[in-house]
Parts: sequence; C-alpha cells; structure tokens
Amino acid sequence: MTTATEVLSPADARTRPQPSTRGWIARIGVMILLAAIVLWRVATIEPFWADRFALAAIYGIIGLSLNVVLGYTGQVSLGHHAFVGLSAFLSAFFVTEKGQSFWIGLLLATLAGALSAGLLGLVALRIRGLYLSLITLTYGFVAVNSIFDIPALTRGGAGMPAPRPSGFATEHKFALLCFLFLGLVLWIDWRMMKTKVGRAVLAVKQSEAVAASYAVSVTGYKVLGFMVSGAFAGLAGSLFAHRATTVVSADFSFREALIWVLMVVVGGLGNRTGVVIASMFFALFPFLVGLVNPLEHFVIDTMGKDPEELTLVIGPALALLTIILYPGGVGEQISPITRWFRGEKFSLHPDGHKPKGKPHRAAAVLRHLVRRGR
Amino acid sequence: MAVLEVRDMGIRFGGLVALDDVNIEVPEWEIVGLIGPNGAGKTTLFNCIMGLYQPNSGTVTYRGRDVSLLPTHRRVAMGIGRTFQNIGLVRELSVIENMMIAQHARIGYGALAGIFGSVRSFAEERKLKAYGLDVLDFLGLSDLANEKLDGLPYGTLKLLEIGTVLATDPDLVLLDEPSSGMGPEEAHQLGERLLKLRQTLNLTVLMIEHHVPLVVDVCDYVYVLNFGKILTEGRPKQVQAHPEVIAAYLGSEAEKVDADAQEIRDEADSGVAAASGGGKERDRGVS
Repeated sequence: MTTATEVLSPADARTRPQPSTRGWIARIGVMILLAAIVLWRVATIEPFWADRFALAAIYGIIGLSLNVVLGYTGQVSLGHHAFVGLSAFLSAFFVTEKGQSFWIGLLLATLAGALSAGLLGLVALRIRGLYLSLITLTYGFVAVNSIFDIPALTRGGAGMPAPRPSGFATEHKFALLCFLFLGLVLWIDWRMMKTKVGRAVLAVKQSEAVAASYAVSVTGYKVLGFMVSGAFAGLAGSLFAHRATTVVSADFSFREALIWVLMVVVGGLGNRTGVVIASMFFALFPFLVGLVNPLEHFVIDTMGKDPEELTLVIGPALALLTIILYPGGVGEQISPITRWFRGEKFSLHPDGHKPKGKPHRAAAVLRHLVRRGR
Repeated sequence: MAVLEVRDMGIRFGGLVALDDVNIEVPEWEIVGLIGPNGAGKTTLFNCIMGLYQPNSGTVTYRGRDVSLLPTHRRVAMGIGRTFQNIGLVRELSVIENMMIAQHARIGYGALAGIFGSVRSFAEERKLKAYGLDVLDFLGLSDLANEKLDGLPYGTLKLLEIGTVLATDPDLVLLDEPSSGMGPEEAHQLGERLLKLRQTLNLTVLMIEHHVPLVVDVCDYVYVLNFGKILTEGRPKQVQAHPEVIAAYLGSEAEKVDADAQEIRDEADSGVAAASGGGKERDRGVS
C-alpha cells in the first residue's frame, strides 16, 4: 500500500528542493576551480610569499582547532599556544634527536596535542565558562615557563632544529603540503559536524541534561571535543615547526593565543569557512602592511612598531566591529556564497526572505558614507 | 512486573527535603499521572529517576534491573525516554537534526568513523534521516523538517519534543507537563494522541500534569505529591475527591482560588443585575 508513495517520494525528496544535476556540476566545478586557483598561486608565486601562504594555511588549521572549542563546545581556551607549542617541540625533538621521519613526528605531535587537550577536557568536566578560561590561561603560562624551558627540548634556548621532509624541502612544496593538510582538516571538521559527534557536541553545549536525555554521553563528548581540537592544534604545531625549521619558545606566547581567539571571533564562531578566511588574513596581515608603502612608513617610522605588533591593534578592533555589527563574522558576510555551495538557490538572505525591520546597521552606515561622499 | 519501580526515594538540597520516602510503581502499559502543587518535587523526582540528580537514598528499578548507579545516557539507551517542562530540544539544530540526535544510541557507526567520513557513516546518516522523517510524518510535522527551531510556535515545539522522545525508541516515557502552553482543545487532542501512541507503540507512560481533565481522561492511576511526600494515590476519580488533595491544591494555589472566587462574585453580580433588571421591568409593568 505504501510502496507507491515511497517510490514517488523517497525520503530525501521530502526535505528540500535540490538543485538539478547541472546545478550540482556547476557548484562542484566552481569549488574545484577555486581550489585549483589557490594551489596554482601557491605553487607559482615567489618563494617569500609561498612561505607566508604556508603560515596562512597553518593559521587556518589553528583557527579550526580553536573553533572546535569556542564554536562547537562553547568554551574559551586561552592556552592554545601551549598545545601548538608542545607539539611543535615534540615533532622537532623526535625528528632531530630521535632520528624519526617527519611523518612519524607529525603523527606523534598530533597525538600529543589530542592527549594534552584531552586532559584539559577532563578538567572541563567540572569547570566551565570563566573559570575554565582561567584554567586554560594558567595552563598556557605553566607550559611556557616549564616545558618550553626544558634544555633537551629547546637546546638550552637556542632552538630545536626541525628539518623539512625530503620531498617537501622547498618553500613551494611545503606550502602545498600545508594546504593539503588544511583541506584534510576541513574535511574532518565538516564530517564531524554532519554526523553524530557534531550533533552531540552542540547538544552538550546547550544543555547537559537535554543531551543526556538523547542518550548522549556528556562526559565522553566533552573530552572528545577537546581532543579533536588538540589534534588539530598538534598537527598545526608540527607543520609550524617544520616550516620555521627551528623551534624557539618565543614563537609560542600568550600573544599568539589571544590573536588566535580574536581571529576565530572575527571569522564567526562555529563557521569553518569564515574562520579559515579570517585566520589567513591574520597570518598574512603583517606582510600585507609591507605592500602599502605609506602604511609601512607610518607603522615603522612614526609609531616605531614592528608590523607584527600591529596585529594586536587591528585584531581587537576587528573583533569589536564584528561583535557590534556582524556577530556572525566573516562567515555571515559570505553566507550567500556558502549557502549556494550547499545547494540552495543564490540569494542574499536565507530562504529568499528579506530581513524584517530596519536595514542592517553596517549597510546603513555605508550608504550614509557614500551619500556624503557624493 | 512493574516497568518502573521507585523505592524509598529521598533527596535533600541543603536543609530542604525535596523528596522524602517516595514509592512509585508504574505497571506495564499503564499511563500513570503524577500531580501536585508547584514545588511539590515532581520534576525533582523525574530527575532522580533519570539520574540527573543523585538521590540521598532509594533505588530506581527498571524492568527488574536496578539502574540507580547508571549514568543518564545509559538509562535512556535502555528505553527510558523523557521530555522537559520547558522544551528539551537543541536550538542550534534544525527540526530533522533534532530527530536525528534523538536516535543517537542506535547509530550504526563509531564517532571516529563519522569524523573521518567512512562510507558507512553516509549510508547510516541517510537511514537516520529517513526514520526521523517518518516520525515527523506521523506527527504531521514533516513540512517543517528543515526549519530552524527559532520562530516555531510553542505548541509545535512541545509536539516535536514528543517526537524526539519517540525517536529515542523508548518503552517507558516520562512526560513533564506535556500540555503546558496548550488550550483546552489542544490538550484534549494531546490526550487522544497519547492513548493512540500507547496503542500503537506499546508505551508505558509516567506523566506530570496540571491539566485535570487530561489526567482524568487518560490516566489509569494517579500519584499525588505534596512537599516531597506521596499524599495519596489511586484511580483518578478517587484522587480527585480526596479531601487532602483538595486541601493541598486550594492551600497552595491561592491565586486560582482568588480567580475562582472572583468568577463566583461576577456571576452573583450579573445575577443580581439580571434580577434587578427584571425588577425594573416588573416595576414598569406595575406602572
């Protein structure tokens, strides 16, 4: 009796009008084209910029790592420099001192990141919110002042050499490797949020009682969330070490942890595309300053600052603007495009509805400026 | 054998005794009501049964097995489903995704397989979605499958919550005020739906409910909780007539009494008005 209707309307057809086959081909085609352009630029650009792009990809992975904690589990980690740094030192240590291959070092660093973050996850079982962020903060400081000072790891402060793998020694090839890993992390992040782990983590974030009533193990998924974040951070740490080819403690300070939190906020909490874009911007920003001569002159000569320090001025400013004008961050701004890639019709507003009420404040400000300009 | 047995349940919050020596039994295929004034400890009892609170004393036995020491999610996986007084749904997920998370215990792939995107995880996700849509169809909510929860009416969310509990595949369901926020007509429909659900899914139900007509309509047996103790128990009609129950409700729900008294006064006034009006007419008739 039901077979006729089942044939006519299979389960998935009941959900959302899907694009035609040609629509999907167009979307996948554009996506591949975008990826190809990025990879082609990375492979052909001058070595200086290829190296910077490698850093941008690593920042993308770090951003996604923090996004798991901030966006998905709803906690704040101010100690991510400890996870990244610890893994960077371990990776370099295993490759240089223990004679392991780069790939073993990378794997061990990823595992170390997952384990150390898992420990923090166990703490997070009892503490959350402000107190947890304080714990992560102190965790970071303790790591910096203890582990990062161990002479065997840092070679007495001189830095641990971290050679690149033989096939990826040049700037271009290592940058490509970093982008491939960024792609892998994006895939994992996407699948995680599409399947049971993502739903469980979001449920735990909202209410532990509700999550448990859906048979979700609150303990397990809290720790798992932190471990995934730690694994991403560990992977990024290893790549960071071998990009720089020497790991020094100074690379991992609280300053970095702060910038990483800011870039996730600017990218949009829980929005992976926005977070990657914002993270790359934050990684490249100090070098972008060098492209604009008057700005470079102003920063270096007038302000007497290194362009890198400017990130800590621009970062909070951007974060503030984001929170006031666009709480969804970069991810919200590019949402018409990401929605199209997901298979919806292209429209500036979700479901083709125009927003009710006043036009957006940012749009109003812009319009005002344009009018005055005329 | 009873599906659920609560024995000597007691819990204190500081100096406050929230539950004291509570004994409850829910037999197979019955709908058992749990009523009592606000603050009587009804939801606290639910939380103790689910393991969200750790009681100071007492045991919870589910189908002959002592589950007192199991964590909440294990109890749910065994077949105890539960709704919340103020809607236990995940706001960040869409309607269909809420139906999918409700099936969490029966997902046929591991967490890591899902994270790395194994072929099987894709197929299993399609199955979860199809089953979720079937349940939504059953409740007449399938049009809303892709909607976000924000902006959906309260009654719809209440119904959806019942849907998610059904998707956890329970055989005992604890409902916390399922008719809250509903009008009398909707509440009546809900009662019929509950009876139908029991008929088709062989459910056993324990429910907290304030709406008396609904309790009388659907419940086979009623426990009355007051100040953390079982005041009385019995068939709905018997309990309704019990003097202590009337006293407990009237004593604590002063507002309602006031409202009732106001109604009586209004009626009396209008009666007087009608009478005096009649009097005028009579007067006129005389003149």
